[in-house]
Amino acid sequence: MKKLFFLACLLTTLQSMAQLERKLETENEPEDLIFHAPRHINLYTVEPLDKNTLHFAIMHTFGTLDNGGRNLFGLDNGANIRFSLEYGASNKFSVGFGRSGMDKVYDVFARYHLLQQTRNDAIPVSVSFMINAAANTADYSFLPEPRPVFQDRLSYAGQIMIARKFSDAFSFQLSPMVAWFVNPDPIFQIETTENLYLALGLSGKYKISGKSSLTLQYIPNLNNELRNNLGIGIDIEAGGHVFQMYFVTSQALNEQYLLAGGNGVPGEKFRLGFNVNRIFNLKK
Amino acid sequence: MNFSRRFYLFTGLFLLSFTAEAQKFQTSEGKVEFLSKAPMSEFTGKSDKLHGLIDFDKNMVDFYVDMNTVKTGIGLRDRHMRDNYIETKKFPFAEFTGKIEGFDGPIMISPGQSIEVTVSGKFKIHGVERPMVIPGTITKNSKGNQLEVKTQFNVLLGDHDIEIPKVVFYELAEEQKVSLEAILKQQ
Repeated sequence: MKKLFFLACLLTTLQSMAQLERKLETENEPEDLIFHAPRHINLYTVEPLDKNTLHFAIMHTFGTLDNGGRNLFGLDNGANIRFSLEYGASNKFSVGFGRSGMDKVYDVFARYHLLQQTRNDAIPVSVSFMINAAANTADYSFLPEPRPVFQDRLSYAGQIMIARKFSDAFSFQLSPMVAWFVNPDPIFQIETTENLYLALGLSGKYKISGKSSLTLQYIPNLNNELRNNLGIGIDIEAGGHVFQMYFVTSQALNEQYLLAGGNGVPGEKFRLGFNVNRIFNLKK
Repeated sequence: MNFSRRFYLFTGLFLLSFTAEAQKFQTSEGKVEFLSKAPMSEFTGKSDKLHGLIDFDKNMVDFYVDMNTVKTGIGLRDRHMRDNYIETKKFPFAEFTGKIEGFDGPIMISPGQSIEVTVSGKFKIHGVERPMVIPGTITKNSKGNQLEVKTQFNVLLGDHDIEIPKVVFYELAEEQKVSLEAILKQQ
């Protein structure tokens, strides 16, 4: 009986040896999709673009919810809309431009991806940088002289994005942010006359199904008394598009206005927001 | 006593059979292609890291590929494939293990000869295993030390619990045409 058992063991080991051993080709594969898109509610993420791809994003934020159904919860109030195109010059570096309706601001920006989180945690976080330069092109000809000249209308922003996918479901990003207005004229749609704004962006994603996630954004201000930005929403992936719907306390859609534009009280002063992200491939 | 002696003799012979010159062919750089033909978009995912084994002595056919190595030409689509559809972190491999039909003993194939075979076995992807019968051709080179293997078969994603997006923009076909081409070297 013992011998039969021995034979059985021998046979099973030989049998399993006969099959090829399953081995991963590389252990330090980069982590996929820490976030669904290069955008997460209003903030940039560590998601890189591949070389020769184009990221097209349309973002909208509508009026406040507090007027209720009469204004279709703010949708009648007209939206701040931002269009942006970002081009992947390499797998680590991308450049783009955008235009936001609020104050008719045009901006150019760049993102650089320094580190990418790997699955085996050899690199535990992804780290990226973003900088932009923006110009307010609103028409102020109704103002008496001296009107803001081009130089006065410039503003800059930068941020470091540090993100980690903690599990298949949960990802988190920390983004220290800075914005600078050359001449923060009270006519601009910002709430103070400070030049410098510091804040800490916090972005969270919790996957609820294969193709959708709950999203959260909180941006505490660090050097002023403005209210902090809060956003909650949902990301939905639909075959190549990423739709992002959210409630947020600010109508601003670029970094400098997000930090300087002030925020409503969460709840009644929430605004409905809606982003569409699409990646185009320019190869071939 | 008698049983014991017979037992050791049998075991010895059994082990000996493994040391005889094996008709065992192997590769780690075969090519595999997944063709997705959806109404609005057609694309292929390709890998040249297919591992394969054909053992004529034991009549075993064994192939696998690390799905992380499959590339469709668009990085974001690859990431969606890995993250949402195949879930390569949990289920990294697509694999097939089976035996060539119609042969009872060891399979003989002479140098330069090409045979049509039917292989029946189990195909596993996304952690879900299904029985599958796959036709293919095996050609031995004139030196007799290499096998060229070619096959094509279809896989239904639904059979393996891989959900395809049902909203608006179809990009992924339910039926994936799998083509496989490999040169296996004698071990």
